[in-house]
Amino acid sequence: MTESNAGRIIELKNIRKSFDGETVLDGINLDIHDKEFVTFLGPSGCGKTTTLRIIAGFETPDFGEVFFDGAKINDLPPYKRQVNTVFQKYALFPHLNVYENVAFGLRLGKKLKEEEISRRVKDMLRMVNLSGFERRNVESLSGGQQQRVAIARALINHPRVLLLDEPLGALDLKLRKDMQNELKNIQMQTGITFIYVTHDQEEALSMSDVIVVMNEGVIQQIGTPTDIYNEPVNAFVADFIGESNILDGVMLEDYKAKFSNQTFDCLDKGFAKGEAVDIVVRPEDVDVVPVEKGMLSGIVTSVTFKGVHYEIIVDIGGFKWMIQTTDFVAQDEHIGLYIEPDAIHVMKKSKYSDQFGDYSSFSDELDELSVNTEEE
Amino acid sequence: MKQRSLLQKCLAAPHMVWTVLFIIAPLLFVAYYAFTDSEGAFTFDNILKSLEADYMVIFFRSISLAIIATFICLIIAYPMAYAISRAKPSAQKIIIMLVMLPMWMNFLIRTYSWMSILEDTGFINQLLIKLGLEPVHMINTSGAVVLGMVYNFLPYMILPIYTVMVKIDRRLVEAAHDLGCNSFGVMTKVIFPLSISGVVSGVTMVFVPSISTFYISQKLGGGNFDLIGDTIERQFQTAYNYNLGAAISLILMVLIIISMAIMNKFSDEDGGMVV
Repeated sequence: MTESNAGRIIELKNIRKSFDGETVLDGINLDIHDKEFVTFLGPSGCGKTTTLRIIAGFETPDFGEVFFDGAKINDLPPYKRQVNTVFQKYALFPHLNVYENVAFGLRLGKKLKEEEISRRVKDMLRMVNLSGFERRNVESLSGGQQQRVAIARALINHPRVLLLDEPLGALDLKLRKDMQNELKNIQMQTGITFIYVTHDQEEALSMSDVIVVMNEGVIQQIGTPTDIYNEPVNAFVADFIGESNILDGVMLEDYKAKFSNQTFDCLDKGFAKGEAVDIVVRPEDVDVVPVEKGMLSGIVTSVTFKGVHYEIIVDIGGFKWMIQTTDFVAQDEHIGLYIEPDAIHVMKKSKYSDQFGDYSSFSDELDELSVNTEEE
Repeated sequence: MKQRSLLQKCLAAPHMVWTVLFIIAPLLFVAYYAFTDSEGAFTFDNILKSLEADYMVIFFRSISLAIIATFICLIIAYPMAYAISRAKPSAQKIIIMLVMLPMWMNFLIRTYSWMSILEDTGFINQLLIKLGLEPVHMINTSGAVVLGMVYNFLPYMILPIYTVMVKIDRRLVEAAHDLGCNSFGVMTKVIFPLSISGVVSGVTMVFVPSISTFYISQKLGGGNFDLIGDTIERQFQTAYNYNLGAAISLILMVLIIISMAIMNKFSDEDGGMVV
């Protein structure tokens, strides 16, 4: 290991991969540091699972190099890599019981005494809260329990890196939240690097140290959850992570942005004078005020009660804003909006400009549907 | 227990009638003939006669040839089924069709073809002579009989094993690789245990017709290798001793039931299977 890659456990250099002439990964460059919880986040078909499978060794890249601890491992078969995988839908061995599934990795290679195997399997099952399930048939377990077996099975060989391919995708919401916490705890307990693939941005935000946002086989942004949320680099990231109003704007000068025919103070600088930009304003960062005190004003076109807050859509000069507010406003009411300088985020124009950000065709249901049909 | 509706009973009726008429009744006839003499009086003589040394030799020969044929089928079919199950779906369809293709031809014609291939002046020997080699005597040997069995019954071994293998989740193979298995380990620890049920039905489907066949041994064995099937056929067709024929059939049935029970025992044992 040289000085320059200290702490890096996996490096991907210019990885390209295509299936049947269709480009799936288009030049992936990524460093993953030891003991981090890294999440690959992106919509279906963005290449996140393929990237994971290249690290696991199930796919070989067409171009580019994969390094593990500074050594190139492009041609190393999966069984010689110090990584283990928790598969989507678990892939437990149906002919083996819980104990034997977990012990599977221990029974290969060097011979261990049965007491040693038994001790380690029991430790592992205790860690995933499945003590007492040793003799159970894996097919008789619930989804959450099968998930735990899969995690125990993958961790028993003490891999340096654990790969998790949408591991919670098949679980219901409540169970998913519990498992998220548990996974995070296991990661901290064991100190193993986790690489987690998901299309669920909430999951990514709440668990990760680092999020890698991907789309169309290209990494869009790498950063901490707060970075990604507060400083998205382009309209795609802003739209994919959380809700956002994305508007066309112009940078008049440093700290002055113009959009919706108004000039706003902001905290961004370094753009050319008069440069066309994308402006992001998160729905929770907008204050609802009386019309005369507002920087902008518009008509409320819909109000949805969400429990903690109301989600309202406001029409301002034809652009539909989404705003989350704890104060009730009535439909068709004329309201003013106030935006603090730190609530405005300015982004360079990208190929994703103009594709997102307006809520005129907004529907929660559509989001749900696209999540449920996810199948990579 | 759920009460069956009248409709369900009616729908099941044709099958019941069929079973009684064509399975239960003939079995009862066989049993009746086996335990009576030509006058119709009750007797154990037929059974005892079937167990005499002459017939035991034939039983033993039938069992050994059937076991050999089944074993060879398994050796050929297992890797083949595995290879087919790993091929592209479009290729799988074609290969499976090719496997079944010989079954579209009449059994007798297929066996006759083998005669003309294996004969002393047959296809293979003529080829050998043309190449300046010594001809080999093949027809009318036990090897020819086994070959006939393997050729005719091989598809019955390939198909059930293939059907099971094609259903094995690819992710299980990846999971095994991931946990440290090389290709051999994947085969012995994942693929084989998960395909046992296919092997069991394949073995049954080859062993049962092999042990009871009569035509193959007559044509390819030249009558030198009488099998049980031949003996039973002769009792009914030539010797007109229905009682003895029925008794031998009954014993054959018992043999088959026993061997199937043994095979099923294998498939019932879950996990940790080593054969």
